[in-house]
Amino acid sequence: MRRLPANLLIGGVLVALVVGFAALSLVWTPHPEGLLNIRGKFAPPSATYWLGTDQLGRDLVTQLMAGARNSMTVALVAVLLGGSIGTLLGLLASAIGGWVEDLVMRFADISFAFPTLLFAIMLAAVFGPSLQNAVLAIAFINIPVFARVSRAAANQIWTREYVFAARAAGMGRFAISRDHILPNIAAPVIVQATIEFAVAILAEAALSYLGLGAQPPASSWGRMLSEAQTLLYLAPQLAIWPGLCIVAAVLGFGLLGDGLRDITDPRLARER
Amino acid sequence: MIETRDLSVNFGPAQAVRGVDLTITPGARIGIVGESGSGKSMMGLALMGMTPDAATVTGSIRIDGRDMADAGESDWRALRARRVAMIFQEPMAALNPLRRIGDTVAEPLIIHENLSRDAARARALDLFQEVGLPDPEARLRQFPHEISGGQRQRVLIALALACSPDLLIADEPTTALDANVAQRVTELLIELSGQRNMALMFISHDLTAVARATTELMVFYGGTVVEQGPTERVLHAPRHPYTKGLLAARPRPEGLRQGGVRKRLPTIPGTVPPLDRLPPGCRFAGRCPVELPHCAATRPPMVDGAACHLLAGDRA
Repeated sequence: MRRLPANLLIGGVLVALVVGFAALSLVWTPHPEGLLNIRGKFAPPSATYWLGTDQLGRDLVTQLMAGARNSMTVALVAVLLGGSIGTLLGLLASAIGGWVEDLVMRFADISFAFPTLLFAIMLAAVFGPSLQNAVLAIAFINIPVFARVSRAAANQIWTREYVFAARAAGMGRFAISRDHILPNIAAPVIVQATIEFAVAILAEAALSYLGLGAQPPASSWGRMLSEAQTLLYLAPQLAIWPGLCIVAAVLGFGLLGDGLRDITDPRLARER
Repeated sequence: MIETRDLSVNFGPAQAVRGVDLTITPGARIGIVGESGSGKSMMGLALMGMTPDAATVTGSIRIDGRDMADAGESDWRALRARRVAMIFQEPMAALNPLRRIGDTVAEPLIIHENLSRDAARARALDLFQEVGLPDPEARLRQFPHEISGGQRQRVLIALALACSPDLLIADEPTTALDANVAQRVTELLIELSGQRNMALMFISHDLTAVARATTELMVFYGGTVVEQGPTERVLHAPRHPYTKGLLAARPRPEGLRQGGVRKRLPTIPGTVPPLDRLPPGCRFAGRCPVELPHCAATRPPMVDGAACHLLAGDRA
C-alpha cells in the first residue's frame, strides 16, 4: 500500500473536523442557537461556556458551530450549482466544438474578468443583500472555472480510441459525452470542486463580513469577525476564534484538493 | 451490398487513397494488405464515414444502393453498427477502462434497436457466447483490465456484431495479439462471417493471417490498389512488381539457408515517398525494378487484376 501524501492526510483531518462540527450543529449545540444572555456577556471560558460568550452573551462554541454549518451549506450549494452548470457547459463545448466551443470559452474568459466580490456587490445592489444572492454570486464565478477544467479534460478524452470505437458503434456525441467522457473527467472535476470549496468558504466569509452574505440573526464566521472588529481591544478572542475556523476550513479543503490531485494525476506526482 | 467507385481520400495535396473501385457482396471475405501509410486504414474509415475532419472524400460510396456522397454525420451514424461495423488494432485502448464490458456491448443495442437495458444485457450475453468468451455471465460485469488481450478483442468483436452488420471492417485485428491468440481470433472472424453471411474486410500487413482469413485480396501501395484478385492467385502467382517484391521480402525458413550458406532477405529498394510527393502516374514508379519511361507520368490501367503499364503491354 502506497503511503498517502501528507497534504491529503492533514487536509482530510481538518475537513473532517469542520464538516463534523457543521453536521453536529444540526442535532446538538452546547447552548440553543442565538440564545442571548446579556448579563453573561463577555464571559471568560468556563465549564458552561467553553470559549466564553460574545458581546450579547451568546455562547461562542455554539456560534462557531452554526457558522461552520452556514459555511458548509453555502460552499456546497454554490460549488454544486456552479460546478454542474460549468461542467455541463464544458462537456457541451467539447462535444460540439466549432463556434459553440468558442462562445462558451469566451464567455468563460469574460466572466473571469469579474472579481467575485464585485459581482456579489452588484447582485446585492440590484436584489438586496442576502445569503441567497451570495450563494448565487459564488456559484456564478464557479461556472467558468469548471467549464474550462471539464472542456480541457474532455478534449483529451475525445481523442481516445474507445471514443472512436463508440462512434464506430453508432453512438452520437451526446451519448458519448454522458457514457464515456463524463466518467473519465470525473477525477479532475472532483479535485477542482474540492479546491473551489475552499475558495467558496473564503468568499462567503468575505461577503458576510461586508454584510452582503448571512443576515442577522444567522451565524456566520465572516459576520462574527466584522462584529468583533470594533471590540478587538476589549475581547480579541471574539475575532481570533472565527478567524482560526476560516483558516482551518480553507486550509483543509485546499490541502485535500492538492492531495487528491497528487494521487489522481500521476504526471504531477512525478514532477515533485 | 457495398460499392465504391473511384473513391479517393485527400488531405490537401496529399492523396491517402486514390481511385479505389470495390464491390463487397454479402459474406465476401476481402483482405487489404499494404505497408503503413498505404491508405488501407483510411479506406476502411471512409466506408464508415469516419475519415478525419481534415480529409475530403471524393468518388462514390453506395451502401445498399444509397449514395453516401452527401451523407452527413447523422446519416452515417444510422448506418454504423447496423450496416458497417469496425474492430480495432489495440483492444485495450478501444475499451473504456471505466465501463463494465457488458454495458459497453449493450450500448449500441439500446441506441439502435431501442432495447431496454435488461434486454440489451441479455443480448450482450448471447453475443459473448457467440464470440467464445469463457464464463460469459461473469464477463458482463467485469472491467477491461480484468480480462486478457485476446478476450478484449473478442469483446470488441461482440460489440461490432451487436447490431448484425452486413460488413465488418477488421483493422489489423490481430497485430497486438500473440501468434496463438491471433490465429484463434482470425478463425473466429472467418466462422462468424460464414454463419452470419457477413462480409469481412480484413486489413493487415500480416500476409499469413490474410492468406488464412480471406478469399479476395487487394494490395495497396501509396493509396492505390496495385493488384487485386482471389487471395490464392495473388499470393501464389503475383503479377505486379510491387506484390512480387512484397512476397519475396517475406522471411521463410527454407530461404534462410541454401546449401549451408545464409542468404540475405530480399528487400524492395528505397522507401515509400511522403503522400504529397508520390508520382502522379504509377505510384510505384521510382522503386520499380521493371519501370518504363512513362510509368511515373500516367496512371496504369487495371488489367487482369494488376495495375501496371508493363503488364498491360503498354510499351508506347
